[in-house]
Amino acid sequence: MTRIEATRLIVELAGDAPIIASLGHPAYDLFAAGDRPQNFYTWGSMGLASSVGLGLALARPDARVIVLDGDGSLLMNLGSLATIGLLRPTNLLLVVMDNEEYATTGGQPTPTAHGADLEAAARAMGITATATVRIEDELRRVVQLFQSGDRNAESLAPQGPRFVVAKVKESAPTAKPPLDCVFIKQRFMTAIGNPESATEGAAL
Amino acid sequence: MTTAPAWAIGVCNGVHAAGSRDVVYVPDNPLSHVLRVFEQQFRDVRLILATREEEALGIAAGLYLGGRLPTVMLQSSGLGNSLNALTSLLMPYQIPVLMVVSMRGDAGEWNAAQVPMGRAVRGICEAIGVPHATVEAAETASDTVRLAGKTAFGTRTSYACLLPRRVTTGSDPQGDRRRSVTL
Repeated sequence: MTRIEATRLIVELAGDAPIIASLGHPAYDLFAAGDRPQNFYTWGSMGLASSVGLGLALARPDARVIVLDGDGSLLMNLGSLATIGLLRPTNLLLVVMDNEEYATTGGQPTPTAHGADLEAAARAMGITATATVRIEDELRRVVQLFQSGDRNAESLAPQGPRFVVAKVKESAPTAKPPLDCVFIKQRFMTAIGNPESATEGAAL
Repeated sequence: MTTAPAWAIGVCNGVHAAGSRDVVYVPDNPLSHVLRVFEQQFRDVRLILATREEEALGIAAGLYLGGRLPTVMLQSSGLGNSLNALTSLLMPYQIPVLMVVSMRGDAGEWNAAQVPMGRAVRGICEAIGVPHATVEAAETASDTVRLAGKTAFGTRTSYACLLPRRVTTGSDPQGDRRRSVTL
């Protein structure tokens, strides 16, 4: 399974769920797989995609929030797993596109290439609904369970956020998302039902 | 139950009056007073513990995308941990966060390891373009924080409210001695 194949599958199953993408290749592939207003592309802040997703999941318990992170990015903010494990929002799906390399910067191996186990890290931090998937059918099943809110899943624990390591092959991105950060934000907020104009008004 | 210091009550009133109901924080000794006031007197405010200041700002950004008006509370030493989130997420996306910064390294500091960053806080804020205001006294804490929040959320720029040690510990003659033992 390549990362673009995994990303296309997630977009296909996402419906109108908001998707937060980590900078670089995860964001590029999300755009290539299907640009939609519910996509939030980060252009910086490496490591913070899972934190942004957590904040959104807390703010909007009615939404099903999907995060597309990278292995290198998550390793930059591992404390995020402890916070997610502490707060346990049930409406958060964190997918780590684990290609075992810093692909955006030239393919240097990450610690996951040498055995670092991000699923084990998530479990150690109190996230109980976890999986490591290698083929599209496994990934499809996990995303479908999350989307259905199924609490009777056998292989994934019934409560709390879901954490999935998708072992993927690097696939060279073919497109880049919009460069205008404010456009990305305002389009996203409008699409998920809280346009920024309303947020601003609440402060005054 | 100990009486909460007036400056801490003022900070809470200011955050609340600015419309913020979500406070992401990394703990700090003076800020423990603020947390206690929020817990006891502002039951509609959600307190969210983060492991690191940069993470706190990321969570705050997500809260804002979800329609909330977030506050982040941190110690000034954590500003260094925050710069990537500020400069490559909050600023380019114009995502506003009201920051309440408990100062270390200013007048009254006893720990040399706190001094360089404490001294640099205002210069760093100015260098990256984050406006800042200083709470000069307990009596003005509420207004200072409220107005910073109003400008932050109205103009979509993060704003730092600095709490000097003179305000947070200056009126407590036991404060420094106690901290020098407990830290």
